[in-house]
Amino acid sequence: MSAAVMTTRGRGNGLLRSLFASPGNAAVTLAFGLLFAVAVPPFVDWAVLNAAVFPAVPETCRAASGACWSFIVAKHSQILFGIYPFDERWRPLIVCVLLIGLLVYSVRPTSWRARLAGFWLLALAICWGLMSGGFAGLADVSTDNWGGLPVTLLLTVVAIGLGFPAGVLLALARRSEMPVIRLLSTMFIETTRALPLLSILFIASIMLPLLVPEDLLPDKFFRALIVLTLFASAYMAEVVRGGLQAMPKGQGEAAQALGLTYWQAQIQIILPQAIAIVIPALTNTIIVMIKNTSLVLVIGLFDLISSGKAALADPEWSSPSVEVYLFITAIYFLLCFGFSRFADSLERRAKGPMS
Amino acid sequence: MTRAQKNFAYQGAALLVTFAAVALVAATASANLEDRGIELGTDFLSDRAGFTLSESWLTYSPDDSNLWALAVGIGNTLVVAALVALFSTAIGTILGILRMSDNPLGAAFARSWVEIARNSPPILLLLFLYSFLGQVLPVSSVVEPVPGTFLSLRGLALPWIDLGVHGWTAGAAAALSVAILVLVGKATAARQRASGQRPKWLLAAFVGLGLAWVSAIIFWLVPVASINRPEADGADITGGVILTPEFFTLIAGLTFYTSGFVAEIVRTGLQSVTRGQWEAAAALGLSKARTLRLVVIPQMLRVIIPPMTSQYINVVKNSTLVIAIGYADFMVVAGTVINKTSHAIEGTAIIIAVYLAINLTLSALMNAINRRIQQNPRT
Repeated sequence: MSAAVMTTRGRGNGLLRSLFASPGNAAVTLAFGLLFAVAVPPFVDWAVLNAAVFPAVPETCRAASGACWSFIVAKHSQILFGIYPFDERWRPLIVCVLLIGLLVYSVRPTSWRARLAGFWLLALAICWGLMSGGFAGLADVSTDNWGGLPVTLLLTVVAIGLGFPAGVLLALARRSEMPVIRLLSTMFIETTRALPLLSILFIASIMLPLLVPEDLLPDKFFRALIVLTLFASAYMAEVVRGGLQAMPKGQGEAAQALGLTYWQAQIQIILPQAIAIVIPALTNTIIVMIKNTSLVLVIGLFDLISSGKAALADPEWSSPSVEVYLFITAIYFLLCFGFSRFADSLERRAKGPMS
Repeated sequence: MTRAQKNFAYQGAALLVTFAAVALVAATASANLEDRGIELGTDFLSDRAGFTLSESWLTYSPDDSNLWALAVGIGNTLVVAALVALFSTAIGTILGILRMSDNPLGAAFARSWVEIARNSPPILLLLFLYSFLGQVLPVSSVVEPVPGTFLSLRGLALPWIDLGVHGWTAGAAAALSVAILVLVGKATAARQRASGQRPKWLLAAFVGLGLAWVSAIIFWLVPVASINRPEADGADITGGVILTPEFFTLIAGLTFYTSGFVAEIVRTGLQSVTRGQWEAAAALGLSKARTLRLVVIPQMLRVIIPPMTSQYINVVKNSTLVIAIGYADFMVVAGTVINKTSHAIEGTAIIIAVYLAINLTLSALMNAINRRIQQNPRT
């Protein structure tokens, strides 16, 4: 019906009408028109018209009154790869391309086969080897010198990849008939969820050296990885538990009547359906986890923000921090937005063309 | 082995592993503490704090105890969380409605806000806003944007009213007024149920209390209150209250972020009330305002309250991000105390206890509200 209305009205006319349909509507239009008129021109002046881009030297920025994009052009490799040795930066570059490529490949439902897990294990092994080196003539680079985008990507992928199965186990444990298992799982989930991630990272960085024998003490990168994984597992557990609760009881009972064991029933009957129900909530949790990796800077890990800050410390340049933070925000935005768009399309496909 | 025996064995094993891990950790910790000559205990809490805080809502000086410093940090965290929760609820509601509106400009504005907030790390929003303020604020001078207010690198100085009476008096009076209104409201509802007529007691109470407040302000407060105006002296500002760039960034950045999520919750709530509800209410002859108040909002709140609870808890958790720009919230203070006194274990216990207490109180409060709202299920 709405399509018919649109054609009789004509498009331009329809737009005008929707902008000034009622006095209230007209007021909203005027208010936003005014807001855009006030805010957009100075922004365009700053970001485009008066901006400095080439040549990427400090003088270009000093001469321009707008944004200093030259800094991003000149320093992008330092921001993206942190303090990784300069001559070896092709290695984290390959890691980033590999991880992003595999992510893009993995999101196609046609590639969801058992071998995908194998690809990921292989890719992570390659990433690990490339990043740390120490073989085949590759220089040895310790995790203390890792930085920037590869750190962010690795933390995200591994924390979500390990956190999800751990979360499923925690969710099953919290619904278990065994009181001790239930209690342990509930305590872990609730404590983790009550604390800010930042405080957990901080606690891990001051408490681990006290609580763990020195030989077992993980370095900064692994500390962050462990904390993020545990954190992700607690949040994912609650999402999965929501899906488990939404399952009709009959499914479990039918599986039992067929003689399936507990694990057979969970893996083949219950979990696939329960997880399908909570895909939107899982998407949100994953986006939150991607954003959470930005907090590892508080324990001194060289993620994108820290490497951006380090690049800003160059006294040659006029320290264009606004531009750098915009650049890093844009990277995160692309990662998160791309992922949420993909999840939306997945959901639409799952619902089918009829709905 | 029967199932019961198997379960027993699993649980025993889980307990054993947990205890073993705890024992290993405890043994290492006590050995490490002995090595470093640290003794467990809470005495350090009464020691002199000795560090300064950039700003605080409770009065604080470095001569106060560590315990008081922690309390000041909790106060700062709660002020930030409360303000952000308040502002983002208001702004998020408007955004959620705007996103549903048929005005394309308004809807696009709300949509971009929501997408930016959902897909950017909040810490980067804070860093971005803070460095933006650092660039637009006058560097070495004081500007007077509106007569009586001053803008400098230290922030915006505003005139402030010195009440002249104790804050507690005003607070107690406000609490008393609210209590009276609640009691009168309950009495009105009871009378309405008993007699079918709704007495106008609430209106009377409003008018009476309003008159009392107005006369108290005119005859009691105005004679003693004074306005504390900021004065600029070169690059220095004295008097008034100063809205620091840190505090502004914190409130504005976190409000921007949280509003995006609140908007989505409000939108879902609005969508959950079907058109038929509006039409049925109209058919019954209810006015638009009464339809909203009696039909739509109660059903909306049922959908909205549980996710709003987790948003408010998120606000408390996100308030720790201020560490990036230097505002003395509870985590910053706790971190400083731990670094100065090396009482990491006790400090950690305090951090966990404080966040658990705040978040559990919050969710208990919201659950109580939720129970009240969910209490009228459709039969």
